[in-house]
Amino acid sequence: MAPTGNDLQQIAEQVWVSYLDTDGEKPLVPVPPDKLSKEVVAAVAVSGAWHGLVLIACSRPASREAAAALLGMGADEVTEGDIDDALGELANVIGGNVKSLLPEPCVLGLPDVRSDVEGDPWLNGDEICRFEATWMGEPMEVSVLEKPADHGEEPA
Amino acid sequence: MVIDDSRAMRLILRRIVSGLNFEVVEAGNGREAMDRLAELEAVPELALIDWNMPEMNGLEFVTAVRADKKFRGMTLMMVTTESEHGQIVRALAAGAHEYVIKPFTPDAIVDKLVMLGLIPDGAHA
Repeated sequence: MAPTGNDLQQIAEQVWVSYLDTDGEKPLVPVPPDKLSKEVVAAVAVSGAWHGLVLIACSRPASREAAAALLGMGADEVTEGDIDDALGELANVIGGNVKSLLPEPCVLGLPDVRSDVEGDPWLNGDEICRFEATWMGEPMEVSVLEKPADHGEEPA
Repeated sequence: MVIDDSRAMRLILRRIVSGLNFEVVEAGNGREAMDRLAELEAVPELALIDWNMPEMNGLEFVTAVRADKKFRGMTLMMVTTESEHGQIVRALAAGAHEYVIKPFTPDAIVDKLVMLGLIPDGAHA
């Protein structure tokens, strides 16, 4: 039992419809962007019968728009703290749903949000699935990274 | 009472229940919620509770509230990403009345509140 890119797409689309695109005007488009971005990465660790991370990665403008949509404010009013809270919660919701597709028993960690993670060992691991999309013209990516058991709880 | 470590999620839930004429008190985790309960003059009618939170998680909060007779009239609803059957059973066995899995729509919350008899059917247009 392992999640697939289609599973991630279904989960992400459900999250968008529920929280970020409630009026249907800002849909998550399942078209890979020209270039992916890891300017902002939010992840939750999963540990137990399976170890790894469930990640959402996007550009900084996309992270601001996500925080603005979730917190009901203008994108120009969004602070770093707002981005951490909003992206962290998106990772938490997506991670919780991915966890139900992983071997049991597993425990979900608390969200961890980082910026400019290029080369960060936090992201080392085997990617088992990915969903790439475009949101408001910006890159958005959801992925699942499997890690050795002794590294599974790094970000908690 | 809305108990979630995410400010964004507290805001979303606040919007839904305040639209149903509930007065809302927020807490960022179970421990903070217990502290707020100790300060409040009246016991809240309803608590919407996340599971995964720092300091005191939602299941620990439900267990603590259920152990205190003072709060017996409080309706406890888990609102969480924990979607496995075993987790739902654990929460209900600990004393939660209802369970909503994130992501949810406002209607999902409203339907549960109608089912619990906390609001009349059709209260939310």
